[in-house]
Amino acid sequence: MRQDWDRRVEHDYRFWIANEISSQSLIWEEGERDFSQIISGINLTNRDVALEIGCGVGRMLPAANEIFRSVIGVDVSPRAISKAKELCESLNQDSLQIDLINTTGSDLQGVPSKSIDLVWSFAALPHMPTRIFAAYLTEIKRVLRETGVARLQVFVGQQDNPAESDTLRMRAYTESAIKKAVTLAGLKLTAITQVSMPLQELLEELYLQPVLITLEPDQAGSKDLDEIVAVLLPQGAEPEEADISCTEFEAWIALHYADRLYQDGEYDRAKSALEYVAQHCRAAEVDVREALKKLSQLAAERQVSAHMAETQGKTEIYDANCEVLKRRFPEIFNQLSAELATQNLQVEVKASVEGPVLWVGQTCLDHPEKPVLAGDTWAKRARNDSRLAKCPHIVVVGFAAGYHLESLVNNGTQVISCVETSLEVLRKALEVRDLRPLLEKLASLTISENGLPDNLEPDAEIIVRPQNLVIAGEAAQTISRNFNSRRGSANLRPKIAVLGPLHGGTLPIGHYTTSALNKLGKAVRGLDMSGFNGGFEMINSLTKNDIRQQVCRQTYVEMVSSILLESFTEKPIDILICMAQAPISGRALSELRRKGVITVLWFVEDYLRFTYWKDYAKYFDYVFTIQKGECIDAIRKAGAANVHYLPTACDPVIHAPVSLTPEERARWGSPISFVGAGYHNRRQTFASLAHLPFKIWGTEWPACKPFDRLIQEAGRRLTPEEYIKIFNSTDINLNLHSSNERDGVDPTGDFINPRTFELAACGVFQLVDERSLLAEVFEAGKEVATFSTVAELKDKISYYMEHPEEREIIARAGRARALKDHTYEKRLEQMLEIIYGASYQQLRQRASENPWVEMIRKAEFDPELRERCERAFARGDEPQLDGLVADIALGQGQLTETEQKLLFLFHVRKQIIRMEHEGAGVRN
Amino acid sequence: MKKRHPHKNKVLLVNITRLGDMLQATPTIAGIKRENPDCHTTVLVEKQFADICHVLPNIDRVVSIDLNYTCRSLAAEQSGIIDAYKYVSELVDGLQEESFDYCLNMSSSAYTALLLKLLNIPKTGGWTADEEGYRVIESDWARLFATSVHYQNRQYNSLNLVDVFRCSADVEDHPHKLQVNILPEAKRYAEDLIRSAGFTNFGPLIAVQAGASQAKRQWSPALFVEMVKILDREYNARIILTGSPKEISIVQPILDGCNSPNVFSAVGKTSIPQLAALLKECQVLVTGDTGPMHISVAAGTPVVAMFLASAYGFETGPYSEGNIVLQPVIGCGPCNPNKSCSRPDCHDTISPRLMADLTMARVAGEVTSISREQADPRSVMVYRSVFDQYGFCDLKPINSSDGDSFARYRDAYRKLWLNDLGGYEVHGDVGSRKRLSRSSLAMADEGVDGLREIADCAQRGQELMRQLKEQILDTRAPGSILQRTNLEIVKLDRDIEELGYHYEPIGALAKMFMFAKENLAGSDPLSLASQMDSVYHNLGRWCQKFGHFYRES
Repeated sequence: MRQDWDRRVEHDYRFWIANEISSQSLIWEEGERDFSQIISGINLTNRDVALEIGCGVGRMLPAANEIFRSVIGVDVSPRAISKAKELCESLNQDSLQIDLINTTGSDLQGVPSKSIDLVWSFAALPHMPTRIFAAYLTEIKRVLRETGVARLQVFVGQQDNPAESDTLRMRAYTESAIKKAVTLAGLKLTAITQVSMPLQELLEELYLQPVLITLEPDQAGSKDLDEIVAVLLPQGAEPEEADISCTEFEAWIALHYADRLYQDGEYDRAKSALEYVAQHCRAAEVDVREALKKLSQLAAERQVSAHMAETQGKTEIYDANCEVLKRRFPEIFNQLSAELATQNLQVEVKASVEGPVLWVGQTCLDHPEKPVLAGDTWAKRARNDSRLAKCPHIVVVGFAAGYHLESLVNNGTQVISCVETSLEVLRKALEVRDLRPLLEKLASLTISENGLPDNLEPDAEIIVRPQNLVIAGEAAQTISRNFNSRRGSANLRPKIAVLGPLHGGTLPIGHYTTSALNKLGKAVRGLDMSGFNGGFEMINSLTKNDIRQQVCRQTYVEMVSSILLESFTEKPIDILICMAQAPISGRALSELRRKGVITVLWFVEDYLRFTYWKDYAKYFDYVFTIQKGECIDAIRKAGAANVHYLPTACDPVIHAPVSLTPEERARWGSPISFVGAGYHNRRQTFASLAHLPFKIWGTEWPACKPFDRLIQEAGRRLTPEEYIKIFNSTDINLNLHSSNERDGVDPTGDFINPRTFELAACGVFQLVDERSLLAEVFEAGKEVATFSTVAELKDKISYYMEHPEEREIIARAGRARALKDHTYEKRLEQMLEIIYGASYQQLRQRASENPWVEMIRKAEFDPELRERCERAFARGDEPQLDGLVADIALGQGQLTETEQKLLFLFHVRKQIIRMEHEGAGVRN
Repeated sequence: MKKRHPHKNKVLLVNITRLGDMLQATPTIAGIKRENPDCHTTVLVEKQFADICHVLPNIDRVVSIDLNYTCRSLAAEQSGIIDAYKYVSELVDGLQEESFDYCLNMSSSAYTALLLKLLNIPKTGGWTADEEGYRVIESDWARLFATSVHYQNRQYNSLNLVDVFRCSADVEDHPHKLQVNILPEAKRYAEDLIRSAGFTNFGPLIAVQAGASQAKRQWSPALFVEMVKILDREYNARIILTGSPKEISIVQPILDGCNSPNVFSAVGKTSIPQLAALLKECQVLVTGDTGPMHISVAAGTPVVAMFLASAYGFETGPYSEGNIVLQPVIGCGPCNPNKSCSRPDCHDTISPRLMADLTMARVAGEVTSISREQADPRSVMVYRSVFDQYGFCDLKPINSSDGDSFARYRDAYRKLWLNDLGGYEVHGDVGSRKRLSRSSLAMADEGVDGLREIADCAQRGQELMRQLKEQILDTRAPGSILQRTNLEIVKLDRDIEELGYHYEPIGALAKMFMFAKENLAGSDPLSLASQMDSVYHNLGRWCQKFGHFYRES
């Protein structure tokens, strides 16, 4: 290892260690970015000392030193350490406290035990032999303080074990192997998070998933390295036979580096790279002339192939392909014939050793040199992937030149379909390769930016080629999301909990959300937390000091959160939807996420007025807002993973026309009404309407004139049933969005309040102020009436008072629109589609871990029992006997044998419990 | 004797509950064998009692059900439920393959009833379930069992439950005792154990079972100590303490309190067969109502047994001739077996002296009377177990029956059931299936509160059934009439039930009626009406007979 890395650093450290980054300042920037990934999301109790394993030329050390008092970098290469020293000194920062240690490469000798707060490693450990990795795990355990944390970048994927001497290839381990290994080393794996790295596409093509594993000290570990190695390499410690040796691989990489430098006009550096190859290959007995010859041949072949493609009549191949295409996929043929293109892509054909390959800009859609081999490798890894191995139908996004698809269809029994986002890509492929056999075997071919084949089974799987993520990332992700959304809706039955606030306007929205999910057939628990509000309010009376009150409130919320965690432990959930101001702490949310629960916040408030999201958003996997644009950007920046726009809605059961008695009309009715809280702009606006026949309902209104005559029933809080009556007995319902800052109508107002949808669903006429997002939900003048100033409001009140028939038309249209597009069921469907789209795998994994799955499998021997288990699972019942017997009603016809047996078990359990409680003296 | 299913070829007895129940089933099993010499008998028992079955005669095959495993699997929930289900399925499949033609369920639990339904055996006795899962008691004797053990009716019953079960299985010819085989190796073990005791006395060998299934049924260790000391010092007896390993904590204070070389603990040292052999070597067993009591009876060793707390001697008393049974006379006893007791005053009604003297009297021979001074009948009744002329076990008081306010009722009920259910001609038999007459009722009425009222109800019931049948047959009758009649029937049945609660002495009649009503079969209205008519008729007949027998006794 030492020699290899010394050599590489000496040759060109920027290429071998810093991913070819040209300037040193960029190297420091990249280091800072990568270090921020290292520390993201971990709770650093102490920031005294941090240590990097494999620090290379120290690109991350200065960034780490900004957080930690002192930083240690260790590396096996003395040249790297020396370079690191030089580069750090060049920063001219006296305050830097960085120690650089050249170690043996397999231990942290010289670092005292229990002296380090953070140990990290990035893009280093995968290059080390497995035994070294195992040794470092034990060393990490030794040097970490009790409160310390380790964050290591490794690769998760199919186990790879190159030769010990190979210090270039990246080793991958399965997740379970890593878990077992760290446990043996005396560490606890607390998180596995994705991380982005350079050459991400290449890594994905190689089916290598870079992750950060977070470790904490745990119980005493094993000192036996063989034991740790054995769990990391369960298939055995024998290295795999590689197609080419490490030396050849290194030479090949360097040769291509040289070629690129040459193409970029950096002749000196190209020559230096060739000399490196010559020196290294001479030492390793590889003929550099052979390598140079290969280089030349490659260049020549490219030209020849390109020429051949042009001169040998691409028309013949194309026509032959189109004959099959026309027969099998006539719509695609028609699109090609009409020369319709879905994207304006410039697709280039270049030659490779194994055949023509397609390029879009700088991205090769296949493999630039060995597309057949690469296609085979990719297909093999895809088939071995546990997600794809057992599914009957694989949908591949990305046609490219078809090599990977050919490998899939020719080797395996699964049905293969393809979705390509660009017609141009397909056209080029058809022009340069004989794809007739492939076209015969594909189950379906779709050209679309978001479409999917129609014949997809519920357990089909989709795989997106990494190249497609580069050239049409959004389209590819949309397809993938749509696919997951569709099958999530069909397959998944996650257990959902809806957590409401302690009090306030969002409280009923929580109920509507739960109700909507119930109607959608989801297994949902609605958690009405208003019962805790009394205690919360009491804090104000028991303490007066602001800070003390805040601390008390936080403590109270923590207490409530702990209760929720216990509840979720007893009855596990998969998705937690928190309504705005739901009483749950970040700690609890983190804990739930750690357990794999998807956390969702439906933030139905003005993000500028309620700013708690700034500290809170990072605890949520999904945040749904009622505002767009800056709101979404800001919340994303605050750390929320996925932020989407989702306005509130109406519940057609609650918000509906109602018949009222004359007495009720007299009490609740008025020509003009407003229901809501007395915010500044409302007070200011409605005061000017005091001379009109106008009733105001709701809280926080002043008692002074002119409100003394307008406010009804002492300004008390109303129930939904009451305000529905008000809506239904009012000729003109005013709907002025609240503002504590603006007078009258807020010209910059964007979000739509729930009242807008509720009024519409009740089939009543409303006058609502103009909002920037209103046009998306209702057509002004047709489905709702609007105003943009107070003067306009007064005019329209006058007008519509005189035109009841127009009011009626608008109200009817508004109701139709609300019921069609703006129900909570629709919103929740949308919410779940988004969640399924991005988190399908996670939810599916959880579903597969659901005890019912094992029970269903075990119940194979009795079809009726199995069916009963499946039904109980679908209903979201807990995996208990009670769930299986609940629907067996005595006296409702003949019991089946299965039902009799289940009742037998039910009564046995009942009897034994009774006997245990009451002693054994029970005869009956 | 009246029999429903006299002929049996391949018999399954379901007896899952306790050790004592297994032993108490032996006369029934023996009787089945006597009456059907070629039949094959299989018992289904709880796994922990499977071993004892191997020393019980007349059992051809033992099938065990592991309820512990079932419950553990159920308690684990999730996949454990499937494991438990699979276990039950395999058990049921195995039993179904046996093609039994008769099954007697000696357990009254819901799950055994369902088990019988699952097994689909054509002829059954005891509890089973119908197509819709409801528990059904087909046989009158099984209904009588359920009636007798109802808390309100217990003291009015004098039929030993062994006999009730026996009759449920239509067994008449039986050995008049419980049975167990004493294995030679067990006998040797018992002898060696006795030899190892190192007794210094040479008097009779007395076994003492101090433990019982419930704490309230256990005489206090202090009282045992006193009794044992009397036996040891005054009677020169040798005492062996018996019990299971978990009863060591109960027995140790006795050992410590006695501190005598003539008190030896065999607790935890014997298996069931070895215990049987050990008890056979003894002359008397002093005990509560326990499993060892039944083992001793089966082994042929008489017992002097205290029936404390919820234990009731008539119900579960020692099933052989010549045993001594002590039943405290106390307002709260026999109490509910499902409840604990923080102050078992009934224990104090039996003195150590009395127990010791009775024990030694029994050693000397049959005990047919004792003085009131020895045992005040106002505090404790002392009985001797006997068999009546019909082969049914009974308890005959040997101190006095003056204090027993229930004796006359018990006697009347005994005769009623032997006559009406068993078909026996008892003294004062009024004959069968006579329509009720006013004069009969007037005779029957004397001394039995509520009897007239319930008899009236029975008569009213029959009138209603006549009406109902007419209405059913009249196709023009509007539904409202049927509904009205139905409401009257419901009210009438409720009245009968409430009479049974209100007037304790007739409680058993009402209960038997309710059980019969609950077990009507089929759904055809006319058939149901006919069945109901029979039920009311039976009630009326029972009232008449009961009144008569009560007057005669």
